[in-house]
Amino acid sequence: MLSKLALRNVMRSARDYLVYFLTMMLVTAIMFAFHSLLFSREIQQLFEMAGIFAVLVGMATFFVVLIVAWLINYMVRFILEKRSREFGIYLLIGMKKKEISRLYMRESLLLGAAAFAGGLALGMLLQQILLAILYSMIMMEYRPRLEWSVGCLVTTAACYGGCYLLALLRCRGKFRRMNIHALMSSQKQNEEIRESHEQAKRWLLPLSCLFLLAFALFLFFFKAWDVTVILGFLLGLVVTIYVFYTGVAAWVICYIRRKGKGIFKGQNLFLLRQFSSKLKTLRFTLGTLTSLFVLALLGCAIALMFNDYQNQTLLDKWPFDVMVFSSDTQDAFQEELEVLNRECGVKEALIYDIRQNGTDTVNAWLYSHLKTFGGAYTSADGSLDREALGRDEIWAYYEHDTYLALSDYNRLREMAGLLPVELEEGEFLLHLKERVWDETGDFTGELEIRVDSGSEEPGDSAEPGSGTAEHSSRLRPAGVYTEPLSQDGHNGADYLLIVSDRTAERMTPYYRLLTANLEGRAPDDLLRKLDALPSKRTSTTPFGGHQENMDMACGTDNIVVYVVANIVRDNLIPEVKFMLSSVIFALVYIGLVFVCVALTVLSVQQLSDSAKYRFRYQVLHQIGLGHREISRVILKQLACFYLCPILFAALISGTMAVYLGWKFNVHTGTHTMAAGYFGLAFLLFLCVYAVYFVVTYVGFLRNALTKA
Amino acid sequence: MEQSYIRVCDVEKYYGSGTAVAKAVDRVSFRVDKGEFVGVMGPSGSGKTTLLNMLSTIDSVTAGHIYYETVDITELSEDKLSEFRKENLGFVFQEYNLLDTLTIEENILLALSLHQREKREVLSRCREMLDLLGIDDVRDKFPYQVSGGQKQRCACARALVNRPKLLLADEPTGALDSRSAQTLLETFTDMNSRLEATIFMVTHDAFSASYCGRILFLKDGQIFHELRRGRKSRREFLNEILDVLSLTGGELSDAQ
Repeated sequence: MLSKLALRNVMRSARDYLVYFLTMMLVTAIMFAFHSLLFSREIQQLFEMAGIFAVLVGMATFFVVLIVAWLINYMVRFILEKRSREFGIYLLIGMKKKEISRLYMRESLLLGAAAFAGGLALGMLLQQILLAILYSMIMMEYRPRLEWSVGCLVTTAACYGGCYLLALLRCRGKFRRMNIHALMSSQKQNEEIRESHEQAKRWLLPLSCLFLLAFALFLFFFKAWDVTVILGFLLGLVVTIYVFYTGVAAWVICYIRRKGKGIFKGQNLFLLRQFSSKLKTLRFTLGTLTSLFVLALLGCAIALMFNDYQNQTLLDKWPFDVMVFSSDTQDAFQEELEVLNRECGVKEALIYDIRQNGTDTVNAWLYSHLKTFGGAYTSADGSLDREALGRDEIWAYYEHDTYLALSDYNRLREMAGLLPVELEEGEFLLHLKERVWDETGDFTGELEIRVDSGSEEPGDSAEPGSGTAEHSSRLRPAGVYTEPLSQDGHNGADYLLIVSDRTAERMTPYYRLLTANLEGRAPDDLLRKLDALPSKRTSTTPFGGHQENMDMACGTDNIVVYVVANIVRDNLIPEVKFMLSSVIFALVYIGLVFVCVALTVLSVQQLSDSAKYRFRYQVLHQIGLGHREISRVILKQLACFYLCPILFAALISGTMAVYLGWKFNVHTGTHTMAAGYFGLAFLLFLCVYAVYFVVTYVGFLRNALTKA
Repeated sequence: MEQSYIRVCDVEKYYGSGTAVAKAVDRVSFRVDKGEFVGVMGPSGSGKTTLLNMLSTIDSVTAGHIYYETVDITELSEDKLSEFRKENLGFVFQEYNLLDTLTIEENILLALSLHQREKREVLSRCREMLDLLGIDDVRDKFPYQVSGGQKQRCACARALVNRPKLLLADEPTGALDSRSAQTLLETFTDMNSRLEATIFMVTHDAFSASYCGRILFLKDGQIFHELRRGRKSRREFLNEILDVLSLTGGELSDAQ
């Protein structure tokens, strides 16, 4: 009999809490789909970085499990509370508390198991969608097939089941403290609105706004961030999120008490009171939901930043098929060329030297001017603070400025599909990364590029930076070029100075490069084969009478910096795209689950209220509101309640996302408007929001107007 | 002949369909004049609440007509009915039906606000009603903070504040203690005489009914008797009511 009762109750609960049931299905599906990517053998075989993907998705799962545990705990307690009268009746007819507890556990587990089973089916569909998206993001062909592994199933079941059991165990305590009278009467009690010190509490609203303003100003203009400041602000932000709703509720209550003009218009008084009472009773839940929305929106905005970076700049990062770095300036790259010819065939290749003349004028300018160094190496007069630079281990630039002969440069341009450039004797060109150019503009006029005028042997010049001896001459700037040229340590770090062949010949070869374009697409293991050859990345070279450690510099790019001697574009792009996709997927995973969980709580709250407080709408009906007017009242009421946390979260996350977007553009060279990332994230978010809103609205109308 | 204020003509109400049809109200006809205080009594299931619901436009008739002066409310559309309800009717129920999120004063203000009135007029009318019903001292309290009697007086104030053509009361004293019930009924009588409010009250309590000017007795969906107070004292009228009830037997024994 109890089993039959449990089954019937489960079916009723699934119907009454359909949004919760569907969300649990969706969460299972999302978990399963992401876990199946984790356990996919093909992905593990295809990518060296599958480990990073596993770590990122694993971390995301950790947060997802936490939040799902919270949702289940919230819902199990919520349903328990809603059904207290029913449990009171069970006690009244002689059931033992243990039996009721067992009945409820059985019901919850059945409901959970049904959602889990449904979620698995949905998860398989979602998995195909995710795989198709992933493969299209990394530009590889995807053949639909089901990824199925015991590990994936066990992980998903463990995460899901663990959350459920934890919540149910916590509930057992509640059953022990049950009392028939309290259970029977708890549903009859309406929300008791306690209003005290509202005048004082009202100040929490402007205070919260002030804090947010200060937070935004600090975010954009404060430079000296340290752990204490960050922790202070984060703590302040959390407190603000939680007290904000108390402030809004108090403000609305004070407005009503003051008998503001607005309350005399139509049903405003009812709406404002509904709104303030809900804010008061649910302020803690709303604070938590806002935090979830903030995290979800930020996660989504950051995912979009990475996606944008992937689409905008990654293809430009490596314009040549193959590049090989060697610190040996006599290297003929024989083994490498052999490998390339054997594996694929070389269409065109160029071996050339990057040179130096012991000066570091451009390095000094960049160290002291780029935002990325945050002024750490800028002395009071704006020049380079060499002492500060010496203290840190910085690998952004080579020790000396990097030069390239014009003929090599033009050959490279030709290989990259660019037109050759001309340069007079006594002139120099700057080839700069576009991202750096966006920040600095043309600064060649500020550079004093001095080269040996030819009377002394190259390499015998004085100490670095002192190329102003009487034997040197100053070069005139002839322009700046910013086309992609693989400048993460190969063709210079961030920049190259292009000088005439004659001038270059008088300089010291610094390191040597092999740049090649292949006949066809590089085989998947070409990079591995090149890497298997002896490394030429570091060496100790004699320079200016002493030994210098030589290693690659990396420039000032962030996000994706590949400081490797060998580059095979066709092998690296999918790898890097996969790495970026890992970040994007993990963030979207968290964002999606957080949003669904938060919206479920909002929705279930409202739907349950619509049934419990149906009489409110009946009263409105009695005092003269038609069904259409009541529907409008409900729409407004829901809109206020739904929009309040999302708009507040949008304000906070929007500020942070604009700041992050701005920083992201500075560091990566993407050009999307900083607010664009957030705007798009918000739009995506609103789509999910709209689905939940419509479902809730329809359910609310059905509940509230059934007998009205 | 003078036009009656409210005319109920051959009204019928059936519930269910096919073979499972239950007749709740069976060809009932009566009139109510302006300023009358009419009571309806009858045992459980006699159809008194159904009748009240049809009069109050909350439920539709199966057959027959209900006229408020010249308006036949059985012919009105849903939207027009809402408008009609807002303009002409006031309700007092056993369960008070106050909005729990609004204070006592705000419950009255809301009813006024729905009529698009000026703020000053709304406030003055509200204050007047709060004074009249003696609930001014609890105006800022929420329903859960006041007694049942005060809640019912608030419901009464809300119902009367827009000066409706008809005040409908369904067992208004059902949830009140005897003292509060007496106060409320005195308020009804007062409203009836001072504001000329027309009141239609459903009750199965003879004591409450004794405050009415006329009583319709309902049984099995039909009016089987009618009592008029005339110049009788309330006690005499109560005895008369109890006599009628004793004739109807068992189910109303609680009233004896």
